[in-house]
Amino acid sequence: MKALEIKGLKKSFRSNFLLKKYHILKGVDLEVEKGEIYGFLGPNGAGKTTTIKCILDLLAPSAGEILVDGQPTSSPAARRRIGFLPENPYFYDYLSAREFLFFSAALFNLSGAEVKDKVAALIHRVGLSGHEDLKLRKFSKGMIQRLGLAQALVNDPDLLILDEPFSGLDPIGRKDLRTLILSLREQGKTIFFSSHILQDMELMVDRVGIILDGAIRRQGKLSELIARSIQYYEVVCDHIAERELANIQANFACRDGYFILTLASDGNVNQVVESIIHNNGRIVAVNPVKMTLEDIFFNEMRDSR
Amino acid sequence: MRGRLLALLALSGLLLAAGMQQRYDSTINYFSERSAFVSLPAGKTLKALAFGYHNLAADLLFIWSIQFYSTYYISNRFDFLERVYDTITDITPQYKEPYVIGSLIMAMEARDIPMALRLLDKGSLRNPEEYMFDQEAGFYCYKYLKDYARAEQYYNRAAAKPGAPAFIKRMNAHLVYLRNDPKMAYQMWLDIYRHAGDILTKDSATNHLYQIKAEAELPQLQAKVAEFRAKFRRLPASLSELAVVGMIREVPRDFDGNEYVYDAQSGKVTAQRIFRWKKR
Amino acid sequence: MKASVKGIVINTFRESARNKMFYLLVFFGILFALSSKVVSFLTLGDAMKVLKDTGLAAINFFCVLIAIFTGINLVFKEIEKKTVFNILSKPVSRDEFIVGKFLGLALTMLTALGAMSAIFFVFVALSGGGFDWGILLYFCMLGLELLVIVAISLLFSSFTTPILSFIFTVSLYLIGHVMWTFNEFKALLRVPAWKALIQVLYYLLPNLDKFNIKNEVVLGTALNPWTMLFSILYALAYIAALLALTVLIFRKREFQ
Repeated sequence: MKALEIKGLKKSFRSNFLLKKYHILKGVDLEVEKGEIYGFLGPNGAGKTTTIKCILDLLAPSAGEILVDGQPTSSPAARRRIGFLPENPYFYDYLSAREFLFFSAALFNLSGAEVKDKVAALIHRVGLSGHEDLKLRKFSKGMIQRLGLAQALVNDPDLLILDEPFSGLDPIGRKDLRTLILSLREQGKTIFFSSHILQDMELMVDRVGIILDGAIRRQGKLSELIARSIQYYEVVCDHIAERELANIQANFACRDGYFILTLASDGNVNQVVESIIHNNGRIVAVNPVKMTLEDIFFNEMRDSR
Repeated sequence: MRGRLLALLALSGLLLAAGMQQRYDSTINYFSERSAFVSLPAGKTLKALAFGYHNLAADLLFIWSIQFYSTYYISNRFDFLERVYDTITDITPQYKEPYVIGSLIMAMEARDIPMALRLLDKGSLRNPEEYMFDQEAGFYCYKYLKDYARAEQYYNRAAAKPGAPAFIKRMNAHLVYLRNDPKMAYQMWLDIYRHAGDILTKDSATNHLYQIKAEAELPQLQAKVAEFRAKFRRLPASLSELAVVGMIREVPRDFDGNEYVYDAQSGKVTAQRIFRWKKR
Repeated sequence: MKASVKGIVINTFRESARNKMFYLLVFFGILFALSSKVVSFLTLGDAMKVLKDTGLAAINFFCVLIAIFTGINLVFKEIEKKTVFNILSKPVSRDEFIVGKFLGLALTMLTALGAMSAIFFVFVALSGGGFDWGILLYFCMLGLELLVIVAISLLFSSFTTPILSFIFTVSLYLIGHVMWTFNEFKALLRVPAWKALIQVLYYLLPNLDKFNIKNEVVLGTALNPWTMLFSILYALAYIAALLALTVLIFRKREFQ
């Protein structure tokens, strides 16, 4: 059974005044395996948040099916094992952190002494120790984000859904979050998150789904998506005269006292290296430049135009 | 501007405004003729407009009316008197004060007894267990209209209601007497006398009974004396002589059981007690 | 009660209890109720009647304000501030949410009413009116009326903005107290279609004046126990209908 399965999800809205229909989601298909970290990637307006809201039954799909662990998410029972962190979370500012977490636990029908311990542990885990009794209106953005994670974990979920969890965090916050997500995967949880910050995604995800204009364009293991293309090779060298280098290859760049040659992915890397060495040049580095997620992303965007 | 200066400006502005308001008020005459009550919606309309707060509305209207109708320099203040009290009593028919106070104002101040009676009739209709409306109405008929028959009707009604105090029955009886039905009045007084719960009532009853009896019997005796004189060309020596000659069966005594006083010289028959109630 | 619903109830109550406007209205309600003593000085005759009338009207008015103001913001604010996401993304159904919100608001309302009633009851006793249990009976009926109003404002709050909710709820409150005029209208009409329409409206719209036993309580006239029973049942039925309608509407609600 897949942790999350979306089949043929379509969603359209009708504007109030005109009878015009806006099609936000035009057929989203994606699968998330259990125990993996899935990155949901797409530009603003692609339908990421709409898709996530459909998963959580905050919006009703116009067509299609969403299953979590085999169960449709429209029934409240299916959401028992899900933890959700919305984008720009807003919580009741008249509550304290502790009160809010107790409330969240109650919503899962958890109560009793075990909740107390759980809440205390969670506060510690997200790094809010010492601020449990502070009213939420006094929280900073980063603290709110941490609290959001805490409430997403209060029911010890199997599947975590995070909408833009990295937005607004400073580098330390981002690192902490990365560490947390990775440790959650270690515990066997599945994490599905959307983000703009591609570098973070690259460091963490197992699989990626790229959504553009209301449909998934590409989905698959990150390693597959990237390994598919090594764009080019970079050969970095110095201690060679420009004239001699020009004989080896016409195009090269100069940066910080080094020469950088760009070579096509197939072919004559070895030859170029040998030529440079033959000319008493020093090879500093030979880098295969793979596509980054960013490249994949922008390619898709370009193709869709 | 500096903070302190602003505060000062605010304060002085307020004081100035208050002063100006006072001047403004003194130039306006709030109680000019024009501003007397122009129109008042009927009871039901006001009830609707009050959206559930009609009790309070009626109370406030009543309170207002008390103040308004005692403001003597408003000359035409009675123009809508009936309307006002009709409205109040339509909204809360079981609130007794408006009927009583309203009819009081109508009778004493506006001098419109029929209007007062209408209001009291309404009160009696809406509050059938209450004797006081009929009592007040009866009193107004008696005192101002001098319509004893009507007054008697009211007192009759009032007397029949639960909790009617004894003096209502007394008044009723007196009115019957005033209506020239001494026999009935006598019976009523007798009834009161027998059921009297206190000395006052008993005394009052005996007085009335004495009077009615005397008023009935004295003229009769006087007539018989005249008859005697006509027949025997002299005055009888005493009232017993009348019995002896068979003109009366026996000499009646007054209600106290005493003999009537007969003056053989003048031939006048009088009662021992001086009774006070004069027929009008 | 499920822990989730209980949590929503307590949270809703907490939200009102930490709201300054709420306390302000309660304070003014009590203030005006106590000022009834002053008003009673102005009348001739039965001053206690005027005192009770004024006090009951004041508490009535301010409690209605509380019911409306706390109700119209209730659901709307959750949607506006997106705090509703926290609740509905968890295993809480829309029904539970609405019921929880209603009960929380009911709790708030009845607490305010209870406080005002107790204070006024003691006040009347201290002012020489004795222990008037009739007043407490009135407050019970008022409580029912307030629950109806709360349900109405909750209904509107679930799908329109606070301003429109306010207008609709206030309108229904006012109309609800003059429903007896509908019968008068009906008598004046000739065309059966209009008569039928008025009749339908008469039953559809809330008839709130039945809870208004101020007159009977203050003047001490007898109350028919059947009438009271029917009033209570009316309230329960009408509230149930409103909540059901609210849930129906709320189920279709999408949160963009």
